[in-house]
Amino acid sequence: MDILNLSIPSIFSLSAILSVVGALLALVTGRSEGLSKGLASVFGILASCAMLGVGVGSLLGSASLISIPTPFAFASFSLLFNPLAGLLLVVINLLAILAWIYGTSYLAEYKGKGIGPIGFFMNLFVVSMNFVVTVDNAFWFLVFFELMSLSSYFLVIIEQDEKSTKGGFLYLIMAHVGFMMIMIAFFIMAGITGSFEFEVFRNTPFVPAIASVIFLLTFLGFGCKAGMVPFHSWLPQAHPAAPSHVSALMSGGMIKIGVFGIVKIGLDVLAASGCELWWGILVLTIGAISSVLGVAYALAEHDIKRLLAYHSVENIGIILLGVGIGFIGIALEQPLIAALGLMAGMYHLLNHAVFKALLFLGAGAVLYSTHTRDMEKMGGLIRAMPVTAMCFLLGSLAISAIPPLNGFVSEWFTYQALFDAAFRGDAVIQLFAGFAAVSLALTGALAVTCFVKAYGVTFLGASRSDAARKAKEVPAPMKLSMVVLAFVCVLLGVGAPLVAPLMQTVASTTLAVGPVAVAHNTLVVNPEMGSIISTPLLAVLLIGLILVPLLIRMVFARGGVDSTKEPWACGYQHEAGMSMIATSFGADVQMFMRPLYRLRSVVSHQATRLVVLFERATKGAEAAETQGIQDDRYLADSTGAFVDWLGHQAKKIEGGNYRVYLVYIVVALLVFLSMSVLAY
Amino acid sequence: MIEILIACVQTLLLVALTPLVSGVGRFMRAKMHTRKGPPILQDYYDLAKLFKRQDIHTKDSSFVHRLMPPLFLGTMLVLALGMPMLTRLSPVPFLADVILIIYLLALPRFFFALSAIDSGSSYAGVGGIRELMVGVLVEPSMMLALFVAALSAGSTNVGVMGATIGSLSVAHPVTIIIVGFAFALACYVELGKLPYDLAEAEQELQEGPLSEYSGPSLAMVKMAMSLKQILVVSWFIAIFLPFGSAVELTVVALAIGLVVYLVKLALIFFICSVFENAVSRVRFKLLGRQTWAVFGIAVFGFVFWILGI
Repeated sequence: MDILNLSIPSIFSLSAILSVVGALLALVTGRSEGLSKGLASVFGILASCAMLGVGVGSLLGSASLISIPTPFAFASFSLLFNPLAGLLLVVINLLAILAWIYGTSYLAEYKGKGIGPIGFFMNLFVVSMNFVVTVDNAFWFLVFFELMSLSSYFLVIIEQDEKSTKGGFLYLIMAHVGFMMIMIAFFIMAGITGSFEFEVFRNTPFVPAIASVIFLLTFLGFGCKAGMVPFHSWLPQAHPAAPSHVSALMSGGMIKIGVFGIVKIGLDVLAASGCELWWGILVLTIGAISSVLGVAYALAEHDIKRLLAYHSVENIGIILLGVGIGFIGIALEQPLIAALGLMAGMYHLLNHAVFKALLFLGAGAVLYSTHTRDMEKMGGLIRAMPVTAMCFLLGSLAISAIPPLNGFVSEWFTYQALFDAAFRGDAVIQLFAGFAAVSLALTGALAVTCFVKAYGVTFLGASRSDAARKAKEVPAPMKLSMVVLAFVCVLLGVGAPLVAPLMQTVASTTLAVGPVAVAHNTLVVNPEMGSIISTPLLAVLLIGLILVPLLIRMVFARGGVDSTKEPWACGYQHEAGMSMIATSFGADVQMFMRPLYRLRSVVSHQATRLVVLFERATKGAEAAETQGIQDDRYLADSTGAFVDWLGHQAKKIEGGNYRVYLVYIVVALLVFLSMSVLAY
Repeated sequence: MIEILIACVQTLLLVALTPLVSGVGRFMRAKMHTRKGPPILQDYYDLAKLFKRQDIHTKDSSFVHRLMPPLFLGTMLVLALGMPMLTRLSPVPFLADVILIIYLLALPRFFFALSAIDSGSSYAGVGGIRELMVGVLVEPSMMLALFVAALSAGSTNVGVMGATIGSLSVAHPVTIIIVGFAFALACYVELGKLPYDLAEAEQELQEGPLSEYSGPSLAMVKMAMSLKQILVVSWFIAIFLPFGSAVELTVVALAIGLVVYLVKLALIFFICSVFENAVSRVRFKLLGRQTWAVFGIAVFGFVFWILGI
């Protein structure tokens, strides 16, 4: 284990260097798109493979903290490798490897739109995520958090059309609203402790009122990044705009960093300050609301990527249910319940990353073949794209929490944690746990409806457009990525007795409580109530008992099979226009759940108002700047000159439009750095 | 070992008896309509005849349409293995978790609705959506009722819940009666009977997805749907009316358990049948309102439980 711990930081640095080199090479060779794509992918894959190793090592090993001094006295470069960071590293880099592989074919769609910058920003995006989950210093955390937001922002607006820039702008604003809240929280802690080190925060008991303010700010701030209700409005606009493999990485990886932040600050960094009961209840309630609203809005969509983006809101809600029980368990001083709740959340985090990435890649494959995201124009794609269709079906079953796949296992643990909390808690907790369990049940039923719609309308029935009729199966690299993810979905479900103890380790080490027995041989166990299920045995029984009737029908049915007929359609003349379309599904649900949809127009109205407000503010700032006094002008001029110079330098390398992006990133980082130095 | 034997025997028994139960239901409806009606064994003849017919699938349909009937039937068989019927405790405990059962019921529902879209027929599609909507409207009530029952019993295992309730040692008997009532109503909606559904009539109702099935596939779906009705009723019996089932695994106790189980099953199907034939169909839109009422009852039980009554 010593050798493992020693080598982790060096592999980590190697991977970071590979990413940065890959990013720069992609930029330099941007003119020849094939070379740029190849270099970015090779370096990206190598970097992520190395980081995957670091992740597995951290997940299985014990926590290790490394501190490297930097020129800034207040911000030494601390890296913490613990199981929680390890889980996130595994999730991010597994998805990154598959996204890179997928991208080698998928990027053909983006010829002439800037493949160089995509390679550059994607490398930067992955490495900044890797740093965010490992750095243990508030200052560097903020730096990399901002870098992550910015690099993903540029990936969202890569298409440069009106929709993507609008979606990207909303994303940028929400990311910075969140960023501001997190920054304030960190500065409060830094102000009190006189340090930016999380390790110092960790050992400082804050006054309950201060701790509550810090929790609230970080919960809301990270909630913006996670896309929980009411900060969800950017997801359905930003995720569909990005290239599909980037959507997979954002929806599968990046929004999880929001959850990671909530867990890390609330349950780890603030551990010495104790935990108030209402924190957990707040997390639980927001989780329940997010899950129901997310899936309800998803049902009303007929753009396949927007539908998936809304499902991210739903699943973040489910993850927060588990995390909320984690908070409640700590507040109640019931370590077993806390560990079980957090474990359910972390398990669902992993599962959602896998099946959502799979579904986004599947949606990308459909987009690649049909050039439309509108499900009404699809249909019957299973004939042309059997591999994509099978993978998407597995992903749909997994996200609908159908046993024995992975989504079910983590939702089962979430239910068990809710039951446990209600079993041990008082009336208030019983009330909220009951509410959460009902929300989760409603979410499950709606998710089934939604994915029957998404899968059925896209892949089954008759093709409804020429594009769908001419669709072809996607190239091998894209298929490979999807098949791997589908396989992982099955593995995480059927292999639950092996995966659950790992997730339990993540939870119990984060909470610093004793280990909990969540698995026994082939069984998955809730130790508090003694409930058991067994996904491997269930899988065997299901396959066996489905095969029996299947074989009986094959062997004993003597009538023969005919699959050439038009639908009977109750005797009417069948027409293609009669078949089901996506809108038919939304209509019934909207009829039964009208109030939920009314709520949305109120919420999204607020988000639009925020954007308008921001636009006015920037206009006002512009106006003020031109009327500024001499001192200000000096500052503005020198910054402007610097930007010009930087732009000029960038132009020398390559005359692409990404030089503007580069300047954006550098300027934003500089502004931020100077701000935090001044504030300190 | 004996548990595995019991699981297999009860599953086979159920499969053998299912057409009889649906046949008796048809017979009773005919009598209440003052018609002569089919013989009680008619459903056996139907299944045998269907099995000899040609298996027709529409030209646009895929493997989903072919896979659904065996999948539906297979999933019901898995549920039958774990459901406590003759015994108080489940013969296969890891299959008897209430949350697993709720989600396992969603597996055939998923494919049932999917096959409806797959057929390309709009009637089938409408029926498929309605089937899904029933799930959406019923599951929250079911979950809340089971939430209260499970916490009162201290377990989410059907067998253990039944054992606690059956031993009359539950802390809040009034609460259990209320949530049991809510659960019974939710189960009734799941059965797909009037006034919400008429499984063998109108095409846009539950029968809808079946309209494009024929021959052996249709036989299997019909079989699976009847099996599901019996299983849902057994589920209710196992949790809320476990009285009389075999606590110890002796031959005498099991024999008594079998007889008592069949009597309970017959009684409940009789009540359902009488109720079904006494009401007229309600419009689908009203289903939402009535399931809210069921949910209200469950909430009532939930509040009682929190207050500790």
